[in-house]
Amino acid sequence: MMQLLSRWTWLRRWETLLLIVLIIVLVINTQLSPFFFDANNISNIFRLSIEKAMVVLLMTFVIINGEIDLSVASLMGLSASVLAVTFEAGWSLPAGFALALLIGAICGALNGFFITYLNMPSIVVTLAGLITYRGVARILLEDRSVGGYPEWFTGLAQNEWIGTFPFTVILFAVLFVVCYIILSRTSFGRYVYVIGNNRPGAEYAGISVRRVKMLIFVFTGLMAAFAGLWYAARLGNIRANAAEGFELDIITIVLLGGVSIFGGKGTMLGVGLSLLVVLNIRNGMSLANVSSNVQTSIVGALLILSVLIPNWAQSLQGSKFWRSFVDRNRITKGEAV
Amino acid sequence: MKHLRLVFLMAVVLLIAVQPAFMQEVITATPGQEVDMLLLPKALGNAVFDQAHEGAIEAHAELENPGELIFNGPSEASAPGQIDIIESAITQGVGGIMISANDYEQLLPSTTRAMEEGITVVTWDSPVDPSGEALFIAQVDFSETGTVMADMALRILGEDGGQFAVLSATPDASNQNAWIAAMQEVLETDEAYAALELVTIVYGNDDPDDSYNEALGLIDSYPDLELIMAPTTVGIAAAAKAMQDEGLCGQIAVSGLGLPMEMQEFVENGCSQEFALWSFSDLGYLTYYVTYMLQTGAITAEVGVTFEAGRMGTYTIEEDPTREGGLRVLMGPFSVYSAENLEEWAIPAEGS
Amino acid sequence: MKSLRGLLHLQQVRELSLFVILILVLLLFGSQIDGYFSPRTFSRIATTVSIIMIVAVGQTIVVLTRNIDLSVGSIVGFTAFFIGQQFGFNRDLHPAAAVALAMGVGALAGMLNGFLVAYGRVPAVVVTLGTLAIYRGALVEYSGSQSIATRMLPDWIKELPQQTVFTIGEVEFGALPVIALVAVILFQMILMYTSFGRRLYAVGSSTEAAEVAGIPARRLVFTAFMISGALAGLGGFVYLARIGTITAVAATGLELQVVAAVVVGGVNTNGGSGTVFGTLLGAVLVGTIEQSLIRMRINEFWKDALLGVFILIAVTTDSVMMSRLRTWWAARAQKAHKREALSAPTAGQVEA
Repeated sequence: MMQLLSRWTWLRRWETLLLIVLIIVLVINTQLSPFFFDANNISNIFRLSIEKAMVVLLMTFVIINGEIDLSVASLMGLSASVLAVTFEAGWSLPAGFALALLIGAICGALNGFFITYLNMPSIVVTLAGLITYRGVARILLEDRSVGGYPEWFTGLAQNEWIGTFPFTVILFAVLFVVCYIILSRTSFGRYVYVIGNNRPGAEYAGISVRRVKMLIFVFTGLMAAFAGLWYAARLGNIRANAAEGFELDIITIVLLGGVSIFGGKGTMLGVGLSLLVVLNIRNGMSLANVSSNVQTSIVGALLILSVLIPNWAQSLQGSKFWRSFVDRNRITKGEAV
Repeated sequence: MKHLRLVFLMAVVLLIAVQPAFMQEVITATPGQEVDMLLLPKALGNAVFDQAHEGAIEAHAELENPGELIFNGPSEASAPGQIDIIESAITQGVGGIMISANDYEQLLPSTTRAMEEGITVVTWDSPVDPSGEALFIAQVDFSETGTVMADMALRILGEDGGQFAVLSATPDASNQNAWIAAMQEVLETDEAYAALELVTIVYGNDDPDDSYNEALGLIDSYPDLELIMAPTTVGIAAAAKAMQDEGLCGQIAVSGLGLPMEMQEFVENGCSQEFALWSFSDLGYLTYYVTYMLQTGAITAEVGVTFEAGRMGTYTIEEDPTREGGLRVLMGPFSVYSAENLEEWAIPAEGS
Repeated sequence: MKSLRGLLHLQQVRELSLFVILILVLLLFGSQIDGYFSPRTFSRIATTVSIIMIVAVGQTIVVLTRNIDLSVGSIVGFTAFFIGQQFGFNRDLHPAAAVALAMGVGALAGMLNGFLVAYGRVPAVVVTLGTLAIYRGALVEYSGSQSIATRMLPDWIKELPQQTVFTIGEVEFGALPVIALVAVILFQMILMYTSFGRRLYAVGSSTEAAEVAGIPARRLVFTAFMISGALAGLGGFVYLARIGTITAVAATGLELQVVAAVVVGGVNTNGGSGTVFGTLLGAVLVGTIEQSLIRMRINEFWKDALLGVFILIAVTTDSVMMSRLRTWWAARAQKAHKREALSAPTAGQVEA
């Protein structure tokens, strides 16, 4: 009996809550719009937000590790701009990809260097990064827009299907599984949590905190650069303002996924569910012609409520009234037995 | 109603009678057909786009369209935000999409897909590449905008000319870039403007605070500056306020494209001499008419097609000289607002 | 007692280091820009940073308690619009009433934040990231895409930026910077000399310890957010006075500039250390770099990158200097401690 009960604790977990919310959203969406379960629409949900979704995965590592990266959207823009400039200069696309990814990794390493070796707060460093990386993209492209990429490149992100699945869905699924395994099944993933929970403790335990943090920031930079290339493919044309302002959406999704802003807590599964919740809410409301400001407000309210309601439930559980109620229950049951 | 129809009939008869024989017939819209329409501005929360919405509502009611008129845009002026809305509209199966585009090329994959689905895509205020639209409702001739701005500068600075600077929106704003380029060309090629010296172009990002600071930066960096030309409604109002706060009204003029409602005060107190704009509500009205007529099959997007757009009269589809292979309907004209015609456009003070 | 004095010392050193960096930045720009060292430059920078300064004072209070308020930009925008609209209804609204109303509306918004953070135990980032969107959404809906034009405002508020309150030498202090300065001095005093201020530091250093010591941590956090909201409301009032034309997107993104001022000013994002004077220096430093880059005649497209690099260099220099000093400080303290221990071994033994 006890064992069964403990197995039911998953009911109280964040992921369950999100799953319930997701189901509610899906039900409402099908009620609101007859087009929701259209195959094209489901493919759209992913196709139109895949760049954010990619970066969300890595941002999960960053925040669980107790840091923050505000520079990701600017890095996406920079990577796209690098590709545009090399393409303009007559480079082959793969060479442009390589340079863009390299620059992404270098910028990530720069963030990591200032944060781990100079002990500066990540919010300060990446705030400066947000301004600087976008600024470099401006220097590269000025007021120009660069397009005319080969069809195979733009087609990749625009509407390629593999069997019955859109390519973007498969790509995201693969990335998600990889990140899930790394975070929850490897020693590296454990280190990420331990450091986020208790940095001095991790240092005492002999974990190379600096190396872990550096790796996380380098890979976040790399992923942001990759997402930037994807953005370039989807839009088929690049300006220096590419992906501007995406960072807030990305961080919102991670936090809604139950990742603690103070580090050490959260799961990839929760973030995955939160991503589905946010994308479906936005899609459903778009189909119902709800204005984008209201959409953002509703996601914001959901973000607050998602923490507030469990907190209240918990304090209610811990309150004298509730405890006395439960105790009385137990006693009466005991008597019956 | 009957009376109205009679007047209308008489007008048509008169028109036909007056028209020379070689001109094409004027096509009118058939009201009452159901077409769902999406009016997609660059961003929400901007007064000019709301005026365009009002014009579209007027046309929507006039054409007795039982379908829906949706007005939705991104919260900030961005191409990805517009793409999301276009894709939703395709899924919903609307009949017409009317876009003021945030980017000339980035919307193309989406608008092309919309056209493949049989949706009429019409751009207004700011076009996309001709391959991704049926046609463009041009508020004014884009090269004329350059001339109008140069003319205003010349009138303000006088025959002996002087230095002036441009305070634009964002570096990526395609409309502003086209207008500034047109103005630069006029300045270079036309002798009449030889005395005008454009010293720099700065960007206030269509943010009031940034624009205000850039305007101050201009007067600090260029002591001989006599005029700030801002081809954006946000920029011109912020620049005028900056000059007012600095006590420089009369010394440094502010001109460009502005909203009469926002600029009235500055013309009255001499901080701005004159500015220009077109009617956004007319633009929304005309755009709605054209989109409705295209989608219902009354007209096709071909050069020479002549049609009647309700209260605004007769228009003809023509080649767009500013975009190769593009079609446009030219609305026009510019209204120039200045102290001289203040009584005509000023809104009387409310209350006290 | 002794450690407290040490902390204060360290804080002053930090401000000194920021001050040195500010001087270096000024010298650098002075060598690049003709006529840079003029009273005009200084009053210009003072006016530019005044809005950010006022809001950043509130942010400092919040960050001291180990929280953050990202919703301030939306609060500034909302109050600016709201007060502008009240003037539209009633032009004779008393100045004091207008300011009180602005601060009241802001305080209400801040109280909601504070309630959720302190009593709902929701992390501040989560709450204010949410209310950032909610308050902005509310403004867009509330405004209905109307904008506030300067002609709706009474003369006194329009002329407020032109007022000079006092003059030192040739440097004029306008009304807006003086409002900011008053806020800075007032809250610096509160932090230094009241038990409320002391307790804020205690809560930020360790909430648990503060609660054990009988400090009402929750109420303090709630109050901190209320103050931040009220000051953002005041910022909205000043924004209205300075910009005049207010739309639904007013002050979008201001939160990042405010947070930048606070963190550059050396306020620890982990709570418990930092001063309002530090924030003042941070805001002035960022404002100086921004304003000077505008004045420098460099390529428009290089400005953002240079601003970012300058900020990074400034914070890094500060951070490296501080960590050196801290090690030196610790070493000296240890030495002193040893010396003390050597000179009075008996006392230690007695205690043991």
